[in-house]
Amino acid sequence: MAANKGTKKVDFKIRCQTTWRDMVKYRWLYFLLIPGILFFAIFKYVPMFGLRIAFMDYNQYNPSASQWVGFEQFVKLFSKASFLPVLRNTVVISLLKLIIGFPIPIILALMMNEMRSLKFKKVSQTLLYLPHFISWVILAGIIMTLLDPDNGLITQLIYSLTGERVMVLTSTKWFVPMLIVTDIYKGMGWGTILYFTAISGIDPQLYEAASIDGAGKWKQMLNITLPSIVPTIVVCFIMNCGNILNAGFDQIFMLYTSHVYEVADIIDTYVYRMGLINSDYSFSTAAGMFKSVVAFILIVIVNNVAKKTGNEGLY
Amino acid sequence: MKDAKNHLTKVKRGKGEVVYSVFNYIFFTLLSIVMVYPFWHVIMMSLSSVEATARGGIFLWPQGFNFDTYAQVFKDPSLWTGYLTTVLVTISGTFLGTLFTATTAYPLSKKNLPFGKTMLLLVLFTMLFSGGMIPGYLLIKGLGLIDNRWALVLPGLVSAYNVIIMKSFFMTIPESLEESAKIDGATEVTIFWKIVLPLSKATIATIALFTAVGYWNDYFSSVLYINTKSKWALQAVLRYMLTNTNQAMQAAGVTVASATNVTAATIKSASVVIATVPILCVYPFVQKYFVKGVMIGGVKG
Repeated sequence: MAANKGTKKVDFKIRCQTTWRDMVKYRWLYFLLIPGILFFAIFKYVPMFGLRIAFMDYNQYNPSASQWVGFEQFVKLFSKASFLPVLRNTVVISLLKLIIGFPIPIILALMMNEMRSLKFKKVSQTLLYLPHFISWVILAGIIMTLLDPDNGLITQLIYSLTGERVMVLTSTKWFVPMLIVTDIYKGMGWGTILYFTAISGIDPQLYEAASIDGAGKWKQMLNITLPSIVPTIVVCFIMNCGNILNAGFDQIFMLYTSHVYEVADIIDTYVYRMGLINSDYSFSTAAGMFKSVVAFILIVIVNNVAKKTGNEGLY
Repeated sequence: MKDAKNHLTKVKRGKGEVVYSVFNYIFFTLLSIVMVYPFWHVIMMSLSSVEATARGGIFLWPQGFNFDTYAQVFKDPSLWTGYLTTVLVTISGTFLGTLFTATTAYPLSKKNLPFGKTMLLLVLFTMLFSGGMIPGYLLIKGLGLIDNRWALVLPGLVSAYNVIIMKSFFMTIPESLEESAKIDGATEVTIFWKIVLPLSKATIATIALFTAVGYWNDYFSSVLYINTKSKWALQAVLRYMLTNTNQAMQAAGVTVASATNVTAATIKSASVVIATVPILCVYPFVQKYFVKGVMIGGVKG
C-alpha cells in the first residue's frame, strides 16, 4: 500500500519534470501565445468575472462600495411585469426564425446541387451570399426605404394587392413576420455553404451505383444526398438551438420603435435599455446572465442528445 | 418488350428532369433578382428626383437623374469622419487581429505542447459563454477606453472561431518541414515567421477578410463606447442618419429654404449607398475566400 503510494509520488514527480522540460523546450511557442492569452483573459474572461455584479447592487460611482445581494436581482427580474413579455418575445421570434428559416438553406442547397451549368450556379451563389456581408444598419436602411408608409415599394405592392396601407414597421401584427422574412433574406444563401461542403464530400461512386440500379435523380437525392448531409444538419441545428435566446439584436435594434416594443422587445434590447440608458447595471447584467446561462445549458443538452442518437456533436 | 419498357421509363424520367431543370433555372433567376433588387432600388432612388421618389414604384433606372442628394450628403462632415474612423479601425483591427489569431493558433496546433489542450478548451469555451453587454462595457470603462478609438479595435481582435480555422490549417502542414529548420537551429518563432506563415497565405487572407468585414460592419461598439460623434464609425453615423433624419438633414445644411431637390427619403438612400458601394465593389472578387474559410472551418478542429 505504502510502496504503491510511494511509486505514485515518484511518478508524479517524473511527470512534473518531463512537463517542465517540455515547457522549456517549447518556450518560444509560449512566447507566441502571449498576446492571445492576454486577449482572451482580458476581453473574454474578465467580463465573465464581471458577471458577479449580477449578484450585487452595483454602485457605478464607487464600484468598491457595491453590496452583495445574492439572487435579489434575479428575483426582481422575474417578478417584474416587463420582463416576462420580453422573454416570450425572444423565444417566439427565434423559434419562428428557426422553424421557418432552418429548412430553407437545406432545400436551396439540394436544388442548387442539381444545376448543371457551373457558371449559372456560381453567379447565383455569389448573389445569394451577398446580404450576409451587408450590415444590419445598411439592410435596415433599405428595409425602411422599401417599407416607407408613403412611397415604399412593398407598401405600394401590398396596397395594390389588398387595398390596405400597411405600416409594417409600426404594426404589432406585421413587425415580427417582417423580422422573419428579412432574417431569411440575409442568411439563407450563406446558410447553404456548409451543406455544399457536405455534399461535395459525397463519394461519386454512390451516385453511379444508384443510377445503374435505376434510381432517378429524385431518388438519388432522397437516398444518397440527404442522408449524407444529416450530420451537418444536426450540427447546424445544435448551433441554432444554442442561439434560441439570440433573437437577433442588431436587426431588431435597428428596426424597432416604441410602437412595437410589445412584440419586438427581446432580452438583448431590454438589457441595452435597462443597462445603458437607465444605468441599472446589476439588474441588466442579471438579465444578460440569465440569457447566457440558459443558452449554455441548452447547447450542452442538445449536443448530448445528438451524441446519444448516434450523431456527431459539436464537441 | 422488356427493353422497350426500360426505354420508356428512361424517356419519362428524362422529361421530368428537363421540366425540373427548367423550373430550377427560372427559380434561381428570380431568387437572384430578389436578392439584388433592393440594393439596386436604393441606388437608383438616390439618383432620382424628389418627385419621382415621392411617387415611388419600381426604379429600374433613375428618374429625373441628378446628383443633388450626394452633393448635400457629402457636406455633412460626420460621413467623412465616419469613413476615417472605419478605415483606421478596419486596417489596424484586421492587421493585429489576424496576426494574433495566427500566433494563438500556431502553438495550439502542436499536439504535445504542455497545457495546450487546456488552453484550447478555454478558447473554445468563449464560443459557448460570454460575459455579455454590460460587463463588457464596464471593462472598457475600467480600462479608461471610453471615447477612445481603440475601444472599437481591441474587443473584436481575436475570435475563437477564427483560431480554430487557423489551427486546423496549421495542423495540415507537414511536421517534416519544420523539423528540418529546427535541426538548423531555428527557434519556433523563426519557423512560424519564415516557414509557417508564408505557407498559410490563403488561410490568412480568409481570416483577414472575415475580420475586416466584422470591423467594417461594426456600429454597436461606437454606440456603446464612443460619446463624441466625430469619432464614430461609418455604420454608427449611418444609423444616426437613418433614425434621426431631421437632425441629419440639418447637419448636412439642408434647410427648408435650400432643400430644392432633397428629401429625407433621398438623403437616407444616398447615405445607404455611400456605405454600401465599397463592399459591393470588393465583394465579387473576395467572395471565394469566404467560401474557402467556411470549408476549412467545417472540418472540425
